[in-house]
Amino acid sequence: MVEHLHCRALALMCQSNSVSADQTDHRRCVSVVIMTGRIISSICCGIRNGKFVTPLSVGVSELLQVRNYAARKGTREKARKKKVKVEVKKAEFVPHSLRRKKAAVRVAKRIDDSMKPDPLDNVWSSRHYKWPVYSFADAVQCHRETHHPTVYNSPDADLYVNVELDMRAVKANRYLDEFTRIVSVPHPFRTDSPRSVLVFCKSADLQRSAMEAGATVVGATELIKNIQSGELSLQDFRFVVAHPDMLPELLSVRGLMKRKFPNQKSGTLGVDIPDIVSRFCSGIEYTARVDTTLKDFGWIFTSVGKLDMDTSHLEENFSAVLKDVYSMRPNREGQFITKCCLVAPPSPERLKVDYSQYIDEDDNKRAEEEEHDDEEEESETEKSELEKTSAAVVG
Amino acid sequence: MWRQILRPVIPMRFSGNPLLCPSELKVHQQVRTTFILKRRWPVFLVKKGRDPSSKKMRARHYVYDLVEDTDVRIKKDLEVILTDFVAGVGNRGDRITMKQSAAYHKLLLPGLAVYASPENIEKFSHLKDEVDYKPKYSSPFVEKTMKILQNMNVMVLMNKDVPWKIEPWHVRISFRKAGIHIPEDAILLPEEPICGPNMEMENKFFEVTVTINNTEKVPVKCVIHHWSTHVSNKLPPVDEDDQPRMPVFPVTVSETGSQANSDFSTAS
Repeated sequence: MVEHLHCRALALMCQSNSVSADQTDHRRCVSVVIMTGRIISSICCGIRNGKFVTPLSVGVSELLQVRNYAARKGTREKARKKKVKVEVKKAEFVPHSLRRKKAAVRVAKRIDDSMKPDPLDNVWSSRHYKWPVYSFADAVQCHRETHHPTVYNSPDADLYVNVELDMRAVKANRYLDEFTRIVSVPHPFRTDSPRSVLVFCKSADLQRSAMEAGATVVGATELIKNIQSGELSLQDFRFVVAHPDMLPELLSVRGLMKRKFPNQKSGTLGVDIPDIVSRFCSGIEYTARVDTTLKDFGWIFTSVGKLDMDTSHLEENFSAVLKDVYSMRPNREGQFITKCCLVAPPSPERLKVDYSQYIDEDDNKRAEEEEHDDEEEESETEKSELEKTSAAVVG
Repeated sequence: MWRQILRPVIPMRFSGNPLLCPSELKVHQQVRTTFILKRRWPVFLVKKGRDPSSKKMRARHYVYDLVEDTDVRIKKDLEVILTDFVAGVGNRGDRITMKQSAAYHKLLLPGLAVYASPENIEKFSHLKDEVDYKPKYSSPFVEKTMKILQNMNVMVLMNKDVPWKIEPWHVRISFRKAGIHIPEDAILLPEEPICGPNMEMENKFFEVTVTINNTEKVPVKCVIHHWSTHVSNKLPPVDEDDQPRMPVFPVTVSETGSQANSDFSTAS
């Protein structure tokens, strides 16, 4: 190998010298000798590497790699395909102040005091012990005290109920959506914003009674024409109520009404028009909201009456609202309503109320039991069928 | 190896007693840690009649999987019998269930309690029935409640437009709004009637006496604040403890204050 390198160095020298004009024979013959020596050495080298290299390729091989045999078909393409293009993404500059951003602090909105001890003394702080649970009448009485003329001086303040909900649905990691409902209450009270209701019914009696119940506009086919011509805007009404006999005519304005089109599911289509109208006009509207981070935490904040109303009337309203909320419970184990507080602004007090007597929890259990019974019956019938078939096979 | 197994005894920071944890005392105690392991590749049995110790163990027989670290096992609660009154915990002779560490450092080490073994239960059963023993407070939680009451300023919100005279129920609802539940008969108002609306009394305090469990008496500061239903007529909200408040009745307050100082360390 050393010999070979030596020869190559000499050859290079010769090439450089050959450029000059005065070339001697001696030098030429030396170069020939060197050339031959080089060929021999290159052959030896080729054999030593275990490859067959023809002498012809040697002269050019110094500058450019050339193979005298064909490369295998598709090899280059394969190699090209194999090469994965790596895209270098340029990292954007992030200011140091924004790096490693802390996650938002989770606020425990559901306060559980079941771990706290029961108060033993007659003077105690609600921070260290369980909250007192009032009966509805007591809680209302407490709020009346704080709204006494000598204190807040607002005896006709709104009484609100704050219901906390467990929004877990039947399946794990699924949660209920927000929902808005209107409950008809036995003792309606003045609401701040009267809800506008458009009523469609044919008979004059019904129209009169609908007006008495509080409808904004009542009419029949002539109203439909007004809507089509644009004289009556549907945007002025929150609800559209209709008697079933008006449905064929109403179909022509279905596209204009869109979601407001009366249907049975939302309770806007029915025979008992005065009842429906009074529900939409003077009922209690509530929305169950869901927390953005704690998906299982929902709450309702709605008014149930005025503090100067009769306690029994307030209680009936409260009961109606709670029952309606409870009707939305998912078919799963565990509580749906977790806590119920009475609030009367401007007082910041939140009084926990015992709500269990207003919702029929046994009803839920009974329904579950019935389901179980059904399942058992089904399984029994399946068993008997199986027995029959097996008997048939044996027979 | 011994350095790893022996470590200094945990400082007794729960007890709060400096005598119990002298800084220079360094007792080394063996750490009682047991790890339950399992061989990943079990060693097979030797042939019948052969000496088991002659069995050649391979390297793989020393590979173990951790089954359980007994050090992190959840410890059961400990039951103790109090031999003395402990504030916030219980009276003498009470049987109390607490977390092991807390019970050890808070009660057993300072000698306030003994283990509730059958012998101790029998031995200390007389503690409760002793006639001449009088506990310091009517209930173990009274001391804490008294501290809370002494340190608080209860805002008594009264109307700015309607004439009033402060009655016990006004004070009761003010306490309830502040999160303290008190029966009305436990509140003793100052003898002089407080009537209003009177802007001179705004942000000034008077003292009521609260009687806890019909025994302990605590003077509590009540601050008068006038509130108007009309927005334009409202007063700015009262600053919390920015300036020292003035009393409504300077003379009577100084008397009660001196009395209170003799009994309790009242918060200024």
